[in-house]
Amino acid sequence: MAKEMIAMLLAGGQGSRLYALTQKLAKPAVPFGGKYRIIDFPLSNCVNSGIDTVGILTQYQPLVLNEYIGNGQPWDLDRLYGGVHVLPPYQKASGSDWYKGTANAIYQNISFIERYDPEYVIILSGDQICKQDYSDFLRFHKEKGAEFSVAVMEVPWDEASRFGLMVTDEYDRITEFQEKPKNPKSNLASMGIYIFNWDILKKYLEEDEQDPNSENDFGNNIIPNLLRDGRRMYAYHFSGYWKDVGTISSLWEANMEVLDPEHSGINLFDDDWKIYSRNSGMSGHKISASAVVEDSMITDGCRIKGTVKHSVLFAGVHVAEGAVVEDAVVMGGTVIEAGAVVRHCIVAENVTIGENAVVGAMPTGEENEVATIGAGVSIGAGATIGPKAMVSKNVKGGEEQW
Amino acid sequence: MVNSNMNTLGIIFPNSYDLFVPDLVNVRLMASIPFASRYRLIDFTLSSMANSGIDTVSVVVNNNYQSLIDHLGSGRSWDLVRKNGGLNIFPPFADKASKPYVGRAGALANILDFLQNQKKKYVLLANSNIAANIDFKAMVDAHVASGADITMAYHTQEIPEGFLKAKDSTKGYYYTLRIDNGRVTKIFVNPKDTGIQNFCMNILIVDRELLINLVTEASLLGQEFLERDVLIPQLGKLNVQGYKYDGYVATISSIKTYFEENMRLLDDYNQDALFSGSPIYTKVRDDSPTRYIEGAKAQNVMVADGCLIEGEVENSILFRGVKVEKGAKVKNCILMQDTVVEKGADIEYLITDKNVTVTAGKEMKGTETYPVYIAKFHTV
Repeated sequence: MAKEMIAMLLAGGQGSRLYALTQKLAKPAVPFGGKYRIIDFPLSNCVNSGIDTVGILTQYQPLVLNEYIGNGQPWDLDRLYGGVHVLPPYQKASGSDWYKGTANAIYQNISFIERYDPEYVIILSGDQICKQDYSDFLRFHKEKGAEFSVAVMEVPWDEASRFGLMVTDEYDRITEFQEKPKNPKSNLASMGIYIFNWDILKKYLEEDEQDPNSENDFGNNIIPNLLRDGRRMYAYHFSGYWKDVGTISSLWEANMEVLDPEHSGINLFDDDWKIYSRNSGMSGHKISASAVVEDSMITDGCRIKGTVKHSVLFAGVHVAEGAVVEDAVVMGGTVIEAGAVVRHCIVAENVTIGENAVVGAMPTGEENEVATIGAGVSIGAGATIGPKAMVSKNVKGGEEQW
Repeated sequence: MVNSNMNTLGIIFPNSYDLFVPDLVNVRLMASIPFASRYRLIDFTLSSMANSGIDTVSVVVNNNYQSLIDHLGSGRSWDLVRKNGGLNIFPPFADKASKPYVGRAGALANILDFLQNQKKKYVLLANSNIAANIDFKAMVDAHVASGADITMAYHTQEIPEGFLKAKDSTKGYYYTLRIDNGRVTKIFVNPKDTGIQNFCMNILIVDRELLINLVTEASLLGQEFLERDVLIPQLGKLNVQGYKYDGYVATISSIKTYFEENMRLLDDYNQDALFSGSPIYTKVRDDSPTRYIEGAKAQNVMVADGCLIEGEVENSILFRGVKVEKGAKVKNCILMQDTVVEKGADIEYLITDKNVTVTAGKEMKGTETYPVYIAKFHTV
């Protein structure tokens, strides 16, 4: 039986601007919001939108991601026909190739898509925090009789030149595409989420593959080619919360926004559009008599004896007596020992921060730097980590790193 | 891990001692009583079995079992969906030959065909009124090494208060053991002794063939209780060994002990003792993390995911999805799933069942010796 629409999720990104956080894992596997990983958002959106077939295109450091996805059961994507499939580059009779670009990644998996004989294919990005109903996007695509649709967000005009912009007519039909232009003609930024009629997508992927000068990229090649041929292309306006968490500061900011759903628009506490994740299996968290916990998110396995303010703590984080955690994102299994002060920073998984160590600092003035500690790092007792530091190796007791 | 070949079938009796906690089992049975902020009692025995490599587990239910069926689902949460074995649930009256039962021997008589068709050499029997993180592999190994016919687990402790105070001895039987050189030489039924005893955990390992023989005979004689009716008369003939369990055990025997055993876990030492072994699994609910807003106050509490804390909570256990609104005060309480404590309410020594709402401004207090229980879906 043919599927109406299947999803292809681009999850090969290295996330090089997340530095220490993506040394050993791909960007979509980066933990987010207390108990999730970034990829939980597009996967949960798929299943909540009624999409039951998802191909995940991986390339960079896929180990953590592969294990995390497993058979897809946490997202209800373990299906007899369809479900979630991890699609790494593979060797073919005619040779093998890494995914050269986003379009090439899909091109190399044409046979996967054809197994489901879909009418539409939605291309998703594995590095965005967004709750979106893709079925509404598909309804728009069908109503417009489109061959290609792209989800767009209105961005402030002064920031528009940082984005790929869609220029549209009054019927939302796309007339021009500008990639990071100096003089923007539109403030409708592409979210990198596309719906294609499968026959059109296949035709353009095959054509693009024949072009030796192509970068095999959706933004740079496929979309301009569609425009060139006057295809029916439409822009779907999305107005909810959307954030590309490609940098340390945007990742930190998005975590902080989760703490303030009333104003930020990202509500993880909404039962009607749940975000699913693989469960830690730890017992309930514990807040001791000596603790102060305010304006924070705490999950299973945490033990809090110190002070935690305006922070997001992941599963199994321990905060010892007298320690202070403020404006911080502290990922799973990290231990913060007595008297340590952890502020305005991201601490990755399984880090140990020794007694009386100081990590990060509240920003003074304009700068908004976020100190970052990579996974598994040990920060010795009394060490000092400056507010701009990016730490991926152990720091001995008493030492300083800025 | 290659202890997957444990050669042992697990059987759990989820209705055991239901009558000791009449309030809590009004809408459920012992096995599905919420415990320790995110679990049901059966999770502990079931996880212990799964973690020990027991891949075939039967749950023999008697009554009030809808909540348990819902909780267990396919058994996936405990990794007990298996092609060979896995989790299976035996409802009562499965066929014409079955009859109502009150004890283990009676329950097992109803599933004799199943027992005969199994291939495992040993059977592990357990109740679900205790929370413990047990390495059953060690117990099976001890059973095999000793060459015993039957091995019974015991814990040296005082008899739980609920059992001691029970006036009606037909509510259920509990046992203490006399052990001589490892062998069980006497089983005492419903003793009222105070002080430390060899308190029987109702966990026993028996060779499957022997169990079939014992149950068949008991069935012919109309005997219901495995320990009281079958083992006691045959203690001289059978080699029954005691297995001393030294780990942490929480035994639920009354609403008061239910309250105390929950509260005991607020001590880190006890929490570690129960949870630091193998993981305890439960049904996944996909709640978000718990959110504490600015001005919230939480001290000495154990809290599951999905809660929203705006007011003050102290010395309490909060299950998944509990809301404590601004200005509300919660002290020495157990709040089960999705309890809402509205603005300005002030509660102390309360056990609220699932989906209870304490309306704004209400003040309600029980005492340490008599915590007040509010039934499921009630609004105060």
